[in-house]
Amino acid sequence: MVILNFTLTPVAASKVHDLLVCLGKFSDTVAIEARREKFTFTALNSSKSAYAAITLDGNQFFTHYECVPSHGGPDGRFTCSMYTKALLSVFKGRLYDPLGRDGAIDRCDVSVQERENETQCRFIVKMVCNQGVIKTYKLTYEAVDVMHALFDRSVAKNRWSMHSGAIREYIEYFGTKTEMLDIFAGEDGRCVFKSYTEKISNGKEILKHPLVTAVAVNTSDFEEFVVQTGMHIIINVKDFKAIVVHADTLKTSLKAFHSQPTRPLQFSYGSEGLICEFTLMTAGDYSAAPPTPAPQAMNSRQASRTPSTTTADRKDSRSFRPNMPPPVQPASRRDGSGRLRNPGSRQASSAGQAQPSRKESDSLFVPEDEDEDDAWAPVDHDREETLGWDASASHDAAAFPTFTDSGSGSRTNTADSNEVFEPTQRVSQIKGLW
Amino acid sequence: MRFKASIQNISTFTKLTASLNSLGPLAWVKLSEEQVCFTIIPEQGTQVWAVLSIDAIFATISVQSAANNVINLEVPLTSLNRALKSALNATSAHIRLTKNDKLPILALTIVTTTASNTYSAFPAAHTGPASHEDGFDASFDNDIGGGNRETIVTHEIPVRVLAPDTVAHLHEPACREPDVHILLPPLMQLKSISDRFTKLALADTKSSTAATATTSRTRLEVAANMHGCLKISIRSDAMSISSIWTDLNNPELDPGHVAGGEHGIAEHPSTRMKQLGTADGRSDQGWAVVSIDGRDWGKVMSVGRLGGRVIACFCHEHALILYVYLPNDNGDDESVLTYFISSYSA
Repeated sequence: MVILNFTLTPVAASKVHDLLVCLGKFSDTVAIEARREKFTFTALNSSKSAYAAITLDGNQFFTHYECVPSHGGPDGRFTCSMYTKALLSVFKGRLYDPLGRDGAIDRCDVSVQERENETQCRFIVKMVCNQGVIKTYKLTYEAVDVMHALFDRSVAKNRWSMHSGAIREYIEYFGTKTEMLDIFAGEDGRCVFKSYTEKISNGKEILKHPLVTAVAVNTSDFEEFVVQTGMHIIINVKDFKAIVVHADTLKTSLKAFHSQPTRPLQFSYGSEGLICEFTLMTAGDYSAAPPTPAPQAMNSRQASRTPSTTTADRKDSRSFRPNMPPPVQPASRRDGSGRLRNPGSRQASSAGQAQPSRKESDSLFVPEDEDEDDAWAPVDHDREETLGWDASASHDAAAFPTFTDSGSGSRTNTADSNEVFEPTQRVSQIKGLW
Repeated sequence: MRFKASIQNISTFTKLTASLNSLGPLAWVKLSEEQVCFTIIPEQGTQVWAVLSIDAIFATISVQSAANNVINLEVPLTSLNRALKSALNATSAHIRLTKNDKLPILALTIVTTTASNTYSAFPAAHTGPASHEDGFDASFDNDIGGGNRETIVTHEIPVRVLAPDTVAHLHEPACREPDVHILLPPLMQLKSISDRFTKLALADTKSSTAATATTSRTRLEVAANMHGCLKISIRSDAMSISSIWTDLNNPELDPGHVAGGEHGIAEHPSTRMKQLGTADGRSDQGWAVVSIDGRDWGKVMSVGRLGGRVIACFCHEHALILYVYLPNDNGDDESVLTYFISSYSA
């Protein structure tokens, strides 16, 4: 049995309205996670390319907040999911109106009724209005497990922040039908926000193509701007608009954090006990980024930490590993996939160290044709997305059960010496194995 | 092929494109260093032929091409209008023809300047985490330095370059001399009344099942005489409504512009029409009548936003031609939009 009761001021309730409007642009349903000291709304869009989490601080945001989850102790939580529209019909606009006009409330009490001896589980919202009118809404909810997107800010070397009011002006220039937004850090001290749509057709249809709009902003107009020059980061323009419009309701600064194109980008802002974090999938022309010691390594999960791989980085990557989606991976397999990402560059940098392992695992590494593959592959996006689920890697494990044993050996090996397994076989050599 | 111009009158340009866009999505734009022509030829409905002097919209212009320094483009008006709209508060705006991925585009570049402190007018908004202090300091410095945020916005409007041959066969419709010419009352007045008529007619149609009747029912009858009267009426089974304006102006014909000079005017149909009808509009005689689609007329009336003088020329039961003269400073009627509205046959 969970105890969850809280009270909102009219201002806070109207902020809940604003955040629901924003989350509604990402998903039809909003998930709720209540902990002892904070309350979080999350939304994940259908393509799972955008994740939003808006956290309300128990002490700061609410006039009263009490949450005692049924189990889990201090770390326990109560989670559920509801239709965004259902919540929005309760948290209407204009809940806060200093003039006390229609729709204004005095306060808002929320409680959750979840008891084993009752048949109804309800999310109950009481709007206490002027003249003693109390509107009570009982909403149904669905018990769900709430997942969070992880974002490692220590890795996001590129960051900028700007007042939402200024960005709000910029997004108004964007065409209505555009889909993508390219954020480009130019070399001339300007940052360009370019909204566009992927080419769809040619001929007569060209004229129906939506407007391409580029807004060039002096980087000095940013409150902070630390972005690798020449980098393109591409996100969905609708997501960006939704975020900026919401940030503008709080009159606060919008901060962006990102590492490389194809790696997640996070927008963050907040004020007065309300913290918003949006983690978005990005695309981008990373070939346009200036060359680094191992440009190919940009793709690699390991190497995305820093271009030059060090032992420390390796450990870092290991600590990150439990966050990966699939079941426990043998370290060796992970190494395998790491190698798949950047065979050429690694070979050059650590050829000497690689030599022993090549001998050692000679017969074990089957799909070693990645050199050729990489030469032909145009861009590595997909493989980046499916890191850890690599079909060839699982094939490895299935076909060679003994491999995990030797894996422990190579794990220490890699951790210490910072080397990677090298290609050992050609396709022509392994045909007999199938 | 080169086209480059700086826009001096963004508001006029925006209103022009908006008005034209209500009649059709695409415009044939003919650019030269003497004048700019916009032509809309929809599949059906009203044609617009607009000729604008350069200084009506552009401050400077440069047009170079192999075909007598004339460039013909097909331009999507919605995109152009949207781009221009965002330039309304710009400090400067330039437009040029260029290429992107081998596709021709019109690039509209606008520069806007915003005082850097406009959004931080309420420093109280800067509450929250300590990191906000940095942000505040930064904007504070800007204020001290008198720094303004300068933003450069570039809109890329896809266009099609038309070969001279493609447009060679396009000609302005030829029409016989009009029976009546009259200066229209303020278009906002005219529009709201005719829109109301159309709406009434459509509301009446809803009850009737015949879909084919729709077009005939929204048929407006527009008539004028040479005694300053304009009449708009609509008729259906259930109703008959009309509005009459009186004391409008019938401009004198300029002998220099009529074939045959003074003699031509004497023989002109409008001279004959002057003999008929009365100034109170009660006479049945002396009316030149056209029958047009109310919805199409509503689109034409959209030109009212440009605020020009409008002279309507009525060719009885044949066509209605509107000449919209753009207001300008030096009093010349150099920029004119011509609307060709053909009458339904009775």
